[in-house]
Amino acid sequence: MKRLFLAALCGALFLLMLYPLEASGYGVRFMLQLFMWVALAQSWNLISGLTGYVSFGHVAFFGTGAYAGAILIATHGWHWVPASLLGGLAAMLLALVIGYPCLRLKGPYFAISMLGLNEVMRVLVSYFEGLTGGGLGLSLPTLHASVQIYYAMGLAALAVTAAAHFIITSRFGLRFMTIREDEIAAEAMGIDTARYKLYAFLLSAFIPGVVGGFFARDQGYIEPISVFPLVTTITMIVMALFGGQGTIWGPVLGAVALFVFQEMVWARFLYLHEFFFGAIIVVVVLLMPKGILGVLRERYRLPRTI
Amino acid sequence: MNVIITPIMVGQVVISGLLAGALYSMVALGLALIFGVMRVVNVAHGTILMLGAYTTFWWFHLLGLNPYLSLVASMSLMFFLGILLQRTLVVRVVNAPELSSLLLTFGISIALVNLARLVFTADLRSVEFITGSFIAGPFALSKSRVISFAFAVAITLLAFWFLQKTKLGKAIRATSQSSEMAMVCGINVRRIHLYSFGIASALAAAGGSLVAVMVAIQPQMGDVYTFKSFLVIVLGGAGNYPGALLGGMLLGLVEQLASLFLTTQLSEAVAYLLLVLVLLLRPTGLLGGRAR
Repeated sequence: MKRLFLAALCGALFLLMLYPLEASGYGVRFMLQLFMWVALAQSWNLISGLTGYVSFGHVAFFGTGAYAGAILIATHGWHWVPASLLGGLAAMLLALVIGYPCLRLKGPYFAISMLGLNEVMRVLVSYFEGLTGGGLGLSLPTLHASVQIYYAMGLAALAVTAAAHFIITSRFGLRFMTIREDEIAAEAMGIDTARYKLYAFLLSAFIPGVVGGFFARDQGYIEPISVFPLVTTITMIVMALFGGQGTIWGPVLGAVALFVFQEMVWARFLYLHEFFFGAIIVVVVLLMPKGILGVLRERYRLPRTI
Repeated sequence: MNVIITPIMVGQVVISGLLAGALYSMVALGLALIFGVMRVVNVAHGTILMLGAYTTFWWFHLLGLNPYLSLVASMSLMFFLGILLQRTLVVRVVNAPELSSLLLTFGISIALVNLARLVFTADLRSVEFITGSFIAGPFALSKSRVISFAFAVAITLLAFWFLQKTKLGKAIRATSQSSEMAMVCGINVRRIHLYSFGIASALAAAGGSLVAVMVAIQPQMGDVYTFKSFLVIVLGGAGNYPGALLGGMLLGLVEQLASLFLTTQLSEAVAYLLLVLVLLLRPTGLLGGRAR
């Protein structure tokens, strides 16, 4: 079973590697965005799925990375790959500054403080016009790099999923999950919860920052509203939730399912798009809060590595 | 920025802060009620405020009646919408982890905002009923804001009287102190949840109606109020209803003062800083609330 799964996984990765050779421009861009959502949903899973601290403003890291990357590319002439990686570091720095105080908050308080962080980042980015272009946004020099960005996004998605695999199957990650199940008990067992929550938070902030940089390069133009929307946070949460939060493959499954569905179905309802999204959120929360993998896990015995 | 700040300017700002603060207090009291009895942060609170604002707009636009009379209509309509939402959807996530209730109310919120945009269009709408200002000594006070302040204070006082003196109000306070104890005392907690959500929605709707008379409205106006209301209940202390009053006034003041010294944009960041500071230094709120 495990071997079969591994073989299927390698086959899928191999096909995805060859895909840009055959695909149309639309196909490549579709897959590139899909990878982005996998990476984002999985990153959210690292902090919220594993430690139970619901980050309701995770897009703040995405936006920070996008702006850091875009500024380096546009005004300092950096190549987009190191610029995006630095964007990831910038997001981690933000996570450090904000996580140190905010991770002491519990439950809805942490969630809302993250929501506020996102609003503040948007305000700050709009305010410092000299650096960020303010509300007018920031244009990047033109570059046709869809295929390269495809591989970069794919790698980011793979990296964060591999990280989730490593964390969930290790002693290190067991500490995260102990915090989720019962923080007081975790502390009583000698886990330095403050430190491990911060680790999880930093880990979950890096990839959104990097992906934000890729996104900025791919779009060629960013503005405060396009990289700090609350809806992006909610989308990553719903993807992770739909697939099964706290699992390795749940966020991947959820991202693929929801993104494909979005492109195939919602895109046709131009005016009711958000209404359907709202309805889907309500349905997922009420009918399958444990996600697809959670439901499967209740029915069948699944290994922990799924 | 070398603007000279005179004492009169500070006085003016303090007054506008208090005028705005009364409205925040009233709206936040609604959110505090829901949070108090169910531990649910209702992300759709601002959305209900928006629907209240549109009720007033259409009332004025179609019927041509005094917009302040529409308070009755918008409050009762949203009371029933609140009850409907609680009864059909929110009731299912009352004891679930906070992620469920946050997401559920967010889902309700964007679905309603989307419908509002379809039906009412995204145009800015305004109720031009009262313009001009009262002149009191060196201060100029916008008439609509003063009247809104008076209504907000009256409605808030009414709500407090209701919470303190009536049997239902006492049952609501008991439930927010301890659900289990309230249940043991024979209070039907589910019914209390229902009424609390209804009353909270009515308070939000009143806020919307008063906002509609002061500034132009559009379907996405509500989000700001959701966040600000949460800020207010954190400032005042969760589960501490008088705290919401103090928190609202404080938020109004801080915002206005910040916009005097900084730009309006940055004053939002100041409000956030205040939230983080209070959460860290006095997590039970300024007046002290329930331990969490």
